[in-house]
Amino acid sequence: MPARSNDLALPTDTEPAIALRGIVKDFPLKRGAAVRALDRLDLEIAHGEFVAILGPSGCGKSTVLRLAAGLEQPTEGEVLVEGRSPAELIRAHRLGVAFQEHALLPWATARNNVALPFRVAGREVDRERVDALLELVGLAGFEDARPRQLSGGMRQRVAIARALALEPDVLLLDEPFGALDAVTRRRMNLELARIWMEQRITTLLVTHDVDEAVLLADRVVVMTGRPGRVLHVQQVEMPHPRGGEVTRDPEFHALVDRLTGMLDDPEPVAATS
Amino acid sequence: MSIDALSASRRVPVAQEGTARPSPARLLTRSLGRVLSRYWTVAAFVVAWQLWSWLTGYNQIVVPPPAMVFGDVLGNIGAYLPDLGWTLAMSAGGLVAGMALGTMIAVVVWSSRIVSGMMTPVALVMRSVPVVAMIPVLARVFGYGWFTVLVITTVVSFFPAFVLVGSRLRAAPQATSDLMAVLGASRSTVLRLLLLPHAVPGLLVAFRLTAPTAVLAAMLAEYLMGGRGLGTLFAQSVSFHEVGRAWGAALVATVVSVACFVAARAVERRGTVRFS
Repeated sequence: MPARSNDLALPTDTEPAIALRGIVKDFPLKRGAAVRALDRLDLEIAHGEFVAILGPSGCGKSTVLRLAAGLEQPTEGEVLVEGRSPAELIRAHRLGVAFQEHALLPWATARNNVALPFRVAGREVDRERVDALLELVGLAGFEDARPRQLSGGMRQRVAIARALALEPDVLLLDEPFGALDAVTRRRMNLELARIWMEQRITTLLVTHDVDEAVLLADRVVVMTGRPGRVLHVQQVEMPHPRGGEVTRDPEFHALVDRLTGMLDDPEPVAATS
Repeated sequence: MSIDALSASRRVPVAQEGTARPSPARLLTRSLGRVLSRYWTVAAFVVAWQLWSWLTGYNQIVVPPPAMVFGDVLGNIGAYLPDLGWTLAMSAGGLVAGMALGTMIAVVVWSSRIVSGMMTPVALVMRSVPVVAMIPVLARVFGYGWFTVLVITTVVSFFPAFVLVGSRLRAAPQATSDLMAVLGASRSTVLRLLLLPHAVPGLLVAFRLTAPTAVLAAMLAEYLMGGRGLGTLFAQSVSFHEVGRAWGAALVATVVSVACFVAARAVERRGTVRFS
């Protein structure tokens, strides 16, 4: 495991883990027209850093994640993950991803869903690792349950365990708890904070929940409305591990209020930055 | 107080008996009532049939009464069973072959646009031409034998599987497809791990739709071409004026078709729960 990150990303010290440079993304509409989702967006994420992208809905924040995941190609600019194109990383099975929809296979048990990345990569399933991951996300005892038998929060836990299965270099999370109720969501945030402390994987989280972003991230990137651009980058200084007590900290609330204010009315702030 | 206590002590055991252990008689009435409420139309049909044969006063050669037909089926079951078994074997064989072929071609069409352009018109023609019209042609090509019956049931079973599996192969959830892309899955891996299991409910719907049709197609082919099976039994009984036997064959065919549908529906329900 220590040799893992060396064999793929050689210039670990200089290169950021994820780099988006001068990204423009147009989506074609009918009759030759196009809508610009992202406009000259720059973003760099260091190794082992947890960055949250925060923005109003429709600001293109999911597009940023889909670019990093290789699911979309930029119209202009370059996307580098570990110094390479996302496609290369995908071929090496080094990306972990979780979406708002859990995207679990309904016919497979929790264990087989977590084992899916092994099967896709054509590797022998590491049963011990699969079970350890299920335990990590708090699903010991539910190994043989099917998604239908699990609650919404439990399904997302399986999805996160699956994202971690092959020890990815980069973890991409697209509103993984967006479909959950507020109580479950808060609990899952604390769980994710704990899991991340154990794994310390470079993580890009896309969310519209300010509490979630501040609780989890080292850095919060606030985006403008369409076309999406970086409006503000907020360093979150609170030390890890962050538990439930952090959310009662006045500093936490001051930060949440400031970032929420930027989301409510981004234009005046944009003029100053 | 004493009266209350007395009546209470009397009431309690009765209530317990009523809820926990219903008497066998009541259990029987209850289940009988359930069967009756669901299938009373079948009984009504038999009654209407009986009334029809009484009231019109037609000769038994024209309208045999239910008792005669049921009597022949139950009394001479040995005369029906070999033909029934044969027809069922033909139906099952054609059903399996047709559904397998439909699934295979759906996968081939999914994998290649050229094949898709070639196959879709052929499949539509197979669907549009009625089986009755196809049977003489197929019989001329494949000969008047059991193989042609098998070909016909295969043709009948092919189309629903082809269409329903094909549409499921193209309708995988977007998030799961994205996930497979990010995991670096090849096209064949996506097919094996995601699309084929995802297509199983479509195949099950095809099975439910096709199972009774396959039996009817097998009988029709046997009726028109001769050889063995329920269809031939019916044709021969008619030509020898064995009315009870002919109607009996029709009755057995109906019951078997309904049973196939019910069984196929049960399989579909269980399978769909498993795969979605």
